[in-house]
Amino acid sequence: MWDIITSSLPQILAAGIKFTIPLALISFAIGLALALITALVRISHRGGAFSIIKGIFRFYVWLFRSTPLLVQLFIVYFGLPYLRIPGVLENGIKFSPFIAGIITFSLNTGAYASETIRASISSVPNGQWEAASSIGMTRGQTLRRIVLPQAFRISVPPLANSFISLVKDTSLAASITIVEMFEVSQQIAAQNYQPLIMYTLVAVVYAVFCSILTFGQGYLEKKTNQHLDQTEG
Amino acid sequence: MKLQGLNKSFGANHVLQDIDLELPERATTVIVGPSGSGKSTLLRSLNLLERPESGLYQLADLQIDFSKKIPAKQVLDVRKKTGMVFQDYNLFPHKSVLQNVIEGPVQVLKRDKNEATKEAYELLAKVGLKEKADFYPDQLSGGQAQRVAIARSLAMHPEYILLDEPTSALDPELEGEVLKVLADLANEKQSLIIVTHNLFFARQIATKIVFVEDGRIIFDGPTKDFFNEQQKNTRIHDFISSMTFTDIDEGTVNN
Ligand SMILES: Nc1ncnc2c1ncn2[C@@H]1O[C@H](COP(=O)(O)OP(=O)(O)OP(=O)(O)O)[C@@H](O)[C@H]1O
Ligand SMILES: [Mg+2]
Repeated sequence: MWDIITSSLPQILAAGIKFTIPLALISFAIGLALALITALVRISHRGGAFSIIKGIFRFYVWLFRSTPLLVQLFIVYFGLPYLRIPGVLENGIKFSPFIAGIITFSLNTGAYASETIRASISSVPNGQWEAASSIGMTRGQTLRRIVLPQAFRISVPPLANSFISLVKDTSLAASITIVEMFEVSQQIAAQNYQPLIMYTLVAVVYAVFCSILTFGQGYLEKKTNQHLDQTEG
Repeated sequence: MKLQGLNKSFGANHVLQDIDLELPERATTVIVGPSGSGKSTLLRSLNLLERPESGLYQLADLQIDFSKKIPAKQVLDVRKKTGMVFQDYNLFPHKSVLQNVIEGPVQVLKRDKNEATKEAYELLAKVGLKEKADFYPDQLSGGQAQRVAIARSLAMHPEYILLDEPTSALDPELEGEVLKVLADLANEKQSLIIVTHNLFFARQIATKIVFVEDGRIIFDGPTKDFFNEQQKNTRIHDFISSMTFTDIDEGTVNN
């Protein structure tokens, strides 16, 4: 058994470094940016033509939160090449598996994280908005300098959760032909007929990755939570 | 500072009804009245945190008509001229005491940061908290936090400082240190408008008293007259006797 582990672990780790980690990191970074934009659009007080933009973002969040991630991956990778609009789009939209993965994971993370950020912003006490506007700060200044820094601290634990989920969800990328860790372990299991060992091994690798992240989360929480206490409760 | 025909409703609740009021400069005006009578709403309207539906508001050279949309520039001008101190302080918890004080001068008044810092230390010294400049709000007692809030508001050089029950969240032994800072400001002729339930303090510090009940002004005049009026005016009498300060009648008037 030890032989199996020492011979296959390097291949699994290589797939992790090549696909799992980049997929998770890049998608999370893009997803967070998307989430922040989405949250800011959705809490904006602007009306008029802007409410159409708000509607689009609301639709986006609804769409990605109410459909399975695996189905989203299939639509983007297998489905979009068949998207044909006569005269406009004749050959569909084709992405490489990796790009399709990044797009789907980013959009999915963005939808969930935007709700986290929105909730964090609204959990900053109203008194903070009032104190800032009472000294003449604009809405933008108040958001940037007073509310978002506090919202960020509140959102660290739930966002870290999203990131950990994302790391595990990248295993779904195996289904769109990305040779990430889970796909590699499947391939090896098909050759050595040791599915129990191989899938347990890959599970342990995911668990180690996620434990490192949990540790990082603890550190970040401790650092950002200094002085977050509201003296006034 | 002058209000004319101010009206404010929350839904069907007509909270301020045809308020006419003059709030003198370089004086201390204390607003009193039962809970829910509209004191906070009145005070917050002066800083435009509440927007009445109608009425005229004159502040120095600014003229505001609440029945019209107020341009952003005017809102900013009003806020520069009126500092606000809240019952629960509302300090920025992620910023140090010093950063709390210089936030407005640097971000809103666009003052030089070094200059603003220098002045912030002076203001903190004035409220007795110079050595707390690098502390964070969660490291302060309530009385200290409220004194920082007062320094934060002074840093904007407002013409008026509006205080909404500044000591109501404090234990009695911490109340004194905040009241002392306010008394000092009053002596320096800083214009103050204070909502408080502390009639004993009102009697000591107020130049004039405004008594609000059910969204209307029942009394508006010199402090002495307010306490003398209670024999004649049953509403003032009932209000004063509903307060727990038994020593009001014996207290001396310092005005
Ligand atoms: N944001 C709001 N929305 C709806 N109603 C409000 C709002 N703020 C105040 N009110 C109502 O307006 C009335 C006056 O409230 P206000 O806070 O001005 O009273 P107050 O005199 O300051 O009372 P207290 O002494 O308890 O602080 C109350 O009936 C209150 O319920
Ligand atoms: Mg009040």
